[in-house]
Order: sequence, then structure tokens, then C-alpha cells
Amino acid sequence: MRVFQLDSYVLLLSGKDCLPFLDGLSTNRVDGTCTTVFTKPNAKIIDMVDVICVGENVAIVGHNEFKVNLVNHLNPRILQQDVQIRDISDFNNVFISVDKYPETDNVTSVETFRGWILVAPKSVRIDATMEEEEFNEYRIEKVIPHPGREITSSSHPFNCGLHHLVHESKGCYVGQEILTRMRSRNNTGKSLIQVKGNPIDATTSGKTHSLAIRRD
Amino acid sequence: MFGSNMDCGTCETSSPVQLMTPEVVDVNLSISNKAQEMLSDAFGDDRSMALLVGVLSGGCSGYMYDLQIVEDTDQNCQEINIDGFRVLVPNASSHLLDGIEIDYVDRLMGGGFKINNPNAESSCGCGESFA
Repeated sequence: MRVFQLDSYVLLLSGKDCLPFLDGLSTNRVDGTCTTVFTKPNAKIIDMVDVICVGENVAIVGHNEFKVNLVNHLNPRILQQDVQIRDISDFNNVFISVDKYPETDNVTSVETFRGWILVAPKSVRIDATMEEEEFNEYRIEKVIPHPGREITSSSHPFNCGLHHLVHESKGCYVGQEILTRMRSRNNTGKSLIQVKGNPIDATTSGKTHSLAIRRD
Repeated sequence: MFGSNMDCGTCETSSPVQLMTPEVVDVNLSISNKAQEMLSDAFGDDRSMALLVGVLSGGCSGYMYDLQIVEDTDQNCQEINIDGFRVLVPNASSHLLDGIEIDYVDRLMGGGFKINNPNAESSCGCGESFA
């Protein structure tokens, strides 16, 4: 089993308005477990998160470096809605398994486009069998973007291989006007591609190939 | 997906994210003559109903107006009486609604109640969303 430990936060949202709240502020349709992206008004990324329904609550798993920005984005917009947020990052580890992960007691597992996201209490031992180098080779082969590398605050979802997380017909959300205009004009700018070797503009470098964000 | 056993720290002990609770503001608002006419049509002689003016998250600009005719609400609201009309403003949104004018735009496309908000830095083309 090839497993890599992610540097992630886990926020637990409770209250009856959790899903509509997340749906109204992010690029994908959020009506259950899914992956979505929060963007600023200029469509630049705040964070890509995995939304996981956990009983009556909803967990969102994102990249640690982006946690403060996302919380600052969500916080002032709760207003009249029934949403409470708790930070449960200290109690859980987050991993990604590139192979289908077997059902395991006390481990929440969700299939995403990056692999199987595993959220496990710190008391549960999961062996991180992959080093970063091996994980990068996997990402390069599958052209999978990673927060901090390709997914950054200066890129928009179309730049970094997250087209499929921008819903084509959902209603308004922050950044939607720009993303819809880019898509309708077929002008989505640079995109994430696999390139040979290790060019100077590589965002992730591998042994024989790299990832880069380039104009077609 | 399987499993739903992530550790919430028994929920009671996990740290709540520090919410920035906005200051509750005593809201001043006005209703244009045209909007008053339309409200009179909607309410008729029954002035027990109230116009709830709130703000929800979402929309192109991050905040969306929420206008409803209600008898009452369980939200913590301030009640304002303007020329006999009961207007309810949730305290949670009061900082975003102080100084607004409720107007009515009479046109075939994009017509209806419209909110002119001096607190809005920008607004969406449809007028329902602001930042």
C-alpha cells in the first residue's frame, strides 16, 4: 500500500446550513462528499478542500499553509446561517493512498481524483510508506496538482489542473463571474502539463519528467 | 467512502475556530416611495407581517441579500418601524445593512426590490450580491 502523509488541517463544521454554506462559496456543487475550491473575487485560489460528510457534520480537509486564509474567508460570511466550525487538526492525521485503501476501523477514507484521502485519529497507526520523491513521481505521471506546488494563491483553478472542480452550471459563488467568462470564451490561460526533463519553470521535478504550468 | 471515525476530540474539548463576531449596529434604513407602494400592495391592510431584510453568504461577491415577508422569526433581530411597516434586521447582519435604502425598480428585466447599500464596495450585476 503506497501511502503519503499530507500536511493538512481538518475543520469540522456542524449546523444545518453547512452544505449550502460551502456550496455558496466554492466552485464545485457541494451537496455531499466531494472536492471543491474556494476562490477570491479575482478567481485566484484560497484552498482546494475535500469535503467529507461525517454523520450529521461535515469535515473539510485542506492544506495547512492555507488554513488561516480559508478560515478568514469563511468566518465573516457565516452571519445568519447555522454553521459552527471547530478545528480538529490536532486530533487527526491525514494521508493519501495512491491505491485503494482497505476498509479499516476508525479510518475515514474517501476516493478523490488525487487518490484515497485517509483521515485517522492520531491514536491509529498508519504507515506512511511513500517519501515525497515517490509521491511526486506518482503526481507527475498522473498530472495531479499539489497545494503549495501547483495550487497556489497566484493560480486560478484552470491554471493548475482543477477544471473538473469548477462546476459548469451551478449558481453564483465568489470568483464565478471570472471563471465562467474564461470558460465561455475558451480562454482559460495557462494549464498544468507534464513535460520532459527538469525545465526551469517546473513546478514539480521528477527523474525523467516534471510538471509545469504553461500556455498551450 | 467508508468510515466516519475521525477524532473530533470528543467535540466538547476540540478548539472552536475563533469566530469574528461582528459588532451589532443600530440599523438606520429607509424605504423609497415606490418600494412603500409595492409593500402596501403586498401587505394589504395587514401590518402584522414584517419585511425581514438579511444577508446570507454566497453570490458572486460573497454576500447575498435575503428579503422575506414573515410573521415572525426565531433570529435575533432588531425591529424598525418605517411609516407603519415592520422591518426586521437580524443582528448578525446589522453591520452590513446600516444605512441601506430599500428601493423598487419598475422594469421588465431585472426589476423588483433593490437595495442601495453604502457599505458595499462592489456588487454583482444582478444586484443580489455584494462585497
